Amino acid sequence: MKQELDVNKVTSSQIMISMDSLSKSFGNIKALDNLNLDVKKGELLGVIGPNGAGKTTAIRITCCIMKPDQGDVLVDGYSIHKDPLKIKSLIGYLPEEPNLYERFKARDLLKYFSELYGVPGADINQRVEELLELVGMTHRAEDRINTFSKGLRQRISIARALVHDPEIIIFDEPTMGLDPATSQTIRHFINQLKGDKTIILCTHYMDEADQLCDRVALLDQGRIRDMGTPQDLKSKIHGDLILLVRVTNPLESDQEVISGFRSVENLETEDEQYIISLNSREEISQILNVLGSRALAVNTKEPTLEDVFISTLENRRI
Amino acid sequence: MNFMTIARWEFKNTIKSRKFLVIFFLQIAALFLFVMVFNSLAENLESNEALSITPSLSGFANVDVDDQGGLFTRHLNSEVLTLKNSSYQQARNRLERGLTVGYYTVPPESVTLIQDGDQVETILYLDYRDPKRSVVREEVNSTTKTLSTALTTSYLESYRPRNITKQPGVTETTSGESVPLQLIRKVMLSVLLFLPLFLFGNLIIDSVVGEKERKTVEMLRALPLTSADIIIGKSLAVVMVMALQVAMWMIIILGAGFQLKNALMVYVIVFLTTIPLVGLTTIIATYSKNYKEAGIGLTFAYIFISGLLILPLLGYIINQSTLANLSPMTMVMRLSSGETIVMGEILLSLTFIVIISLISYGTSITLFQRDKVIFGPRPSIIRLTMELMGLNKDKKTRSHKRRIRN
Repeated sequence: MKQELDVNKVTSSQIMISMDSLSKSFGNIKALDNLNLDVKKGELLGVIGPNGAGKTTAIRITCCIMKPDQGDVLVDGYSIHKDPLKIKSLIGYLPEEPNLYERFKARDLLKYFSELYGVPGADINQRVEELLELVGMTHRAEDRINTFSKGLRQRISIARALVHDPEIIIFDEPTMGLDPATSQTIRHFINQLKGDKTIILCTHYMDEADQLCDRVALLDQGRIRDMGTPQDLKSKIHGDLILLVRVTNPLESDQEVISGFRSVENLETEDEQYIISLNSREEISQILNVLGSRALAVNTKEPTLEDVFISTLENRRI
Repeated sequence: MNFMTIARWEFKNTIKSRKFLVIFFLQIAALFLFVMVFNSLAENLESNEALSITPSLSGFANVDVDDQGGLFTRHLNSEVLTLKNSSYQQARNRLERGLTVGYYTVPPESVTLIQDGDQVETILYLDYRDPKRSVVREEVNSTTKTLSTALTTSYLESYRPRNITKQPGVTETTSGESVPLQLIRKVMLSVLLFLPLFLFGNLIIDSVVGEKERKTVEMLRALPLTSADIIIGKSLAVVMVMALQVAMWMIIILGAGFQLKNALMVYVIVFLTTIPLVGLTTIIATYSKNYKEAGIGLTFAYIFISGLLILPLLGYIINQSTLANLSPMTMVMRLSSGETIVMGEILLSLTFIVIISLISYGTSITLFQRDKVIFGPRPSIIRLTMELMGLNKDKKTRSHKRRIRN
C-alpha cells in the first residue's frame, strides 16, 4: 500500500527515496538528528561526511535493517514502517564490509541470494551467469569465497546486491581499502549502472563522489550540511578557479587593487602567497600585471569536493 | 516459505562441511564407546559377580587367607589377587617381610553360621606401608557385599512357596527392580538416547552468532525476509541434522544389543524434543554477542535443561508421579521399556514440548527484531526481560508507535 508523506514531495514523481525527519540514537550518541533528504529517480546521489556522521545509520534505516527512533522513509511511496519487505525487495545493498558466507562457492552464493530475493527459479541460472560475467568472476565461480582477495569479494558483493535486478542500489564505501586498480573497476561498475537505477553512494573519497555523482549531500552530526551538484558545491566555496601567486614581500596596496577586479571573489594571503578565488579566467593576465616582476610563481587550481568538505566542517566548528 | 530456502541451504552446507563431518563421526564414535561401557556395566551387575573397579592386572597383589569353608575365597577376584592359604602366624611373618599385602580371615564354621542365619565376622589385616592395600580392601569389600546379596536372595528363595497352582482371577505382580538394574536398563538408556541432542548446540550457535561475528547479519537483515523466516529457517536446518544424528544413534544402540521397545515412537519423541531444545539454544545464540558468551550461556542452559529432563524421570521411578510425564525423557524411558502409556500422558508431554517451543521461538524472533540486540548497545538481560514482558517500555518507543498510528 503506497503512503502519502507530503503532498509536495509525492506529487513529484521524480522522488524515489524520501527521508523525513529521521532521528536515531545509540545510547547517548545521536547518530541522526532530524535528517531530511530526497533522492530522485535514476539519480546517483553521493553522501559524504566524516566518520560518525550518520551515513551508515541513514542507509541501514532506508534498507529496513534498522528502525529509526523517529521519522519515516518512503521508498517508491512505500513506508519503512508499513512495507519493509516490499522496500527490501526494491533495494540492492552493498554493506561497508564485503562480509560473505566464507564456505560458499561464488556461484552458489549468488544462487542462494537469488532464491532469497525471490528470483523465479527458471531465471536464476541465467541471471547468476550474467552477473558473474558483469563483475568478471566467471573463471572463479566454482571457488570458495574464503579463497578470494578483498577486491574479488567486493566484486561478488556487487553481483550479490544486483541478483534481483533492484530499482535502487545503495553502496556503502564500496572502494574502501581497495587498491587503485580495483577501485577503478568498481567505479566502472557503478558508472555502468548510472541512469538505469537510483543509486546512493556513501564514500569518503571526494574524487569518487566528484567523478560519479549527479548530486552530493554533505552529512555531518546526523544532519545534511549542504547539498547540490559537485560543481555547485565547489562554486559555493571558492568560485570556479583558484589562482595561487607566490610573491616577494606581499603588499597591502596590491591586495586592494586585486580585490577590486570583478572576477575576484576572495583573496587570502598565506605566507608569501596570494590565494585568489575567481569566478572566471578573463582577468588573470591583468591581475598578474599588477604584481609585475614580484610574481615569482603562478599556479591555478580547480576547487575540489575535498575543499568543500573541509570548509563546511570548519564553518560548523566556527 | 522463505524459511525453507534458508533451512535447505543451511542443511546442505552443514552436511557438506568437512569440519562438521569430522565432528559428526567423532561424536558417533564417542557415543559408541559410551554404549560399550554401559553394556559391560549392565552385564557385570546382572551376572551378580563382583564388580571390579581395579584395572585388569593379574597378580596385582598377594593376599594370605584363612578360609577353611572356602566360601569367601572362591568369590575373591583371583585375576587381581594372588591368594595363599596361611595360618595367622605365617601371615604375620609374611606381612612383616613385605611378602603379602594383607591377611583375610574367615571363621571355619562360616557356612554353618550362614545356614543358621547368624552373622559371620570376617577380619582383614592390611599392611599400611603398602599402597596396594586400598585395592585389596576394595576387592574384599566388593566380594563380601556380592556374597551377602546372593545369600540373602537364596535365603528368600528357599522360603518362597513353590508349585502353587494359579487361582483364577488372581495375578502375581512384581514391582521394583534393584536400583542398579533400573538405572542401567531404563535411565541410562534414556540418557543415551537424549545425549546426541546436547552435542549440536554449536551448530545453532555458529549459524546465528556466526552472523554477528562475521558481520553478515546486516546483509541477512537487508533481505526481504521476516525475522521469523530467518530464525525458523536456521533452527529447522539444525533440527534436521539432529534428526539424522538421533536416527544413527538409535541404530547403534539397537546394534549394541540394547532392548528398545516402541523404537519408532521413541524416535518421534526424541526428535520432537529437539525442537524446543534448538529453540532455547536459539535464544542464547540471538542474545549473545560472540561465540565465547554463547558458549558460557549454552553450558548453563544445558545443565538446567538436563535437570528438567532427568529429574521428573527420577521422580517417576521413585513414586510414579503423573506430572513426571511432562518430561519427554520419562516418556522415552517408559516407551522403551515396553510400558503401556495412555493417550493423556502422551498429550501431556507433547503439550509441554509445544509450549516450550512456542515460547522459545517467539522469544528468539522478538530478540532478532531488536536493533539493540543485534547492533548494540545491548540491554541487560533483566531490562530486556522486563521490556519483553511489557513492564519497561521506554518512552521513546511508545511515543514513536503512537506517532506511527496517528
